[in-house]
Amino acid sequence: MDDIPGKITENDRVTGSYRRLTVRLERPLGRVSPGQFVMVKVPDRDVFLRRPFSIYDSRGRTLTIVYRVVGKGTDALSAAARGGPLMVLGPLGRGFAPGRGNTPIVVAGGIGYAGVRMLLTRLGSRATLFFGVMEKEELRLAADLGETRVFPATMDGSCGFAGDVVSLLGQRLDDYRGKRPEVFACGPSGMARSLKALLEPERIPCQVSVEERMACGMGLCFGCVVATSDETNPYKRVCKEGPVFSLWDLSL
Amino acid sequence: MGSLAVDLFGKMLKNPVMNASGTLGYGVEIEPLWPVDTMGAYVTKGLSAAPHHGNPTPRVWEERCGMLNSIGLQNVGVDRFFSHYFPFFVERRCPIIVNFFGFSEEEYLSCARSIEPHDLIVALEMNLSCPNIKKGGISFGKEASAVHAIVRSVREVTKIPLIAKLTPEVKSLVEIARAACDGGADGLTLINTMPAAVVDVKGRRVSLKGGLSGPLLKPVALRAVHECSQAVPIPIIGVGGIMNTEDALAFLMAGASAVQVGTATFVDPFAMPKIIAGLDSWLDASGLADISAIVGAAHG
Repeated sequence: MDDIPGKITENDRVTGSYRRLTVRLERPLGRVSPGQFVMVKVPDRDVFLRRPFSIYDSRGRTLTIVYRVVGKGTDALSAAARGGPLMVLGPLGRGFAPGRGNTPIVVAGGIGYAGVRMLLTRLGSRATLFFGVMEKEELRLAADLGETRVFPATMDGSCGFAGDVVSLLGQRLDDYRGKRPEVFACGPSGMARSLKALLEPERIPCQVSVEERMACGMGLCFGCVVATSDETNPYKRVCKEGPVFSLWDLSL
Repeated sequence: MGSLAVDLFGKMLKNPVMNASGTLGYGVEIEPLWPVDTMGAYVTKGLSAAPHHGNPTPRVWEERCGMLNSIGLQNVGVDRFFSHYFPFFVERRCPIIVNFFGFSEEEYLSCARSIEPHDLIVALEMNLSCPNIKKGGISFGKEASAVHAIVRSVREVTKIPLIAKLTPEVKSLVEIARAACDGGADGLTLINTMPAAVVDVKGRRVSLKGGLSGPLLKPVALRAVHECSQAVPIPIIGVGGIMNTEDALAFLMAGASAVQVGTATFVDPFAMPKIIAGLDSWLDASGLADISAIVGAAHG
């Protein structure tokens, strides 16, 4: 973990409100495990705290994040000019840990794709991506995936399965019978709840990346907790013990 | 070379900078970035006799020049802190201040009693912003008589120096400071967060009610330190919106013997090491032999 100054080399629209930010860092981020994140100091006077972003890609001194403009912080970030300075703290948190010999199923909802992109790159053709979005245009986010098989789901039915991505997975789940499926997910909180309902009967292993408002990003403030089934100490820090948790440990 | 060392309750701290309670986890989390004994002392997360789960989320909200938090005093409990985390500070010879709280007088007493004196324990810091559940939830820190009573009770059950951390949400902080001092407090920490709210305009509802911290709080805290340090003869630890060396100097000059840095660490995790280095450079440039020489320099 390090706090590294960098310069923005790219901050462009991918599609809709999704943007890709590339930063050239003074020092490499070092060893990153898929699912880890960084805290970015957005260069804007009105944005006081740092913002957490999944590490989309990290190679040497080049860091890429993909984000969606959803509020004050991301709005200000979208206005940051190429060549401008940025501080990046990371890598942070605990990422995905795929079990050996399992068949990986990756489920992403919307911008949740940014949280599983590194995992998909590592798994290559072994993984299948179930990608749920609102409409067809957003599927362009995953256009840079090479050999991974993608099952798209669009809420408006403009491409692939018409409906939510967990329902699509439900239709396909029988294909993985006897193949030791393991699910890795990142998406809106409703997605984790439907995944739990779907995977509950066979208690298929599932690691889910959780999102929460953060202040410090490194376990100092206890601001970003998630409720777990641990009765003696239910609230775990998303930034420190997470952001990836076993779905079966979460109290959803 | 001037010295940043300060004497607090008979213990020498290598510098007057420490974290505000609850803003540096259990102290171990910062180690990947800098050694915790960089600070003069580590202030524990608020501890209670029994563990506390804390509040559901959202627990934090950003403001333009600060933030609100409503963590709800989540902590592992005082026993677990000493069995699990204290050895880490012993190993580093890092002095600590033990912040603690209770929701009744009994809880304060039971917590204070359970802490044995140790050469690394500089003081106990009582959080007086807690609601007293036996008195209809009114905070212990709001009435001078209640402050006097609770401080005196705790004073009787421990030999460790006792600091009262006061809430600014009172009619007269000077009066409360005097009450704590008369009750037997050896020092004061000024100030805790201010009660605040954020409204979500789109959703037409309150997003979060919690304690306000960050630069917005600095002038309020400075005034409290300036006034109280002239009203009571005990050391004051200043806290509220310190972001840089100049802010820390302002608190020392206002009458604080030491300072605590909280929210700044979330914005820049190296804020404290930078402030300490900055104080060192300032002291050298000033030609003063000792940082304590500027404490209260702004008194009238």
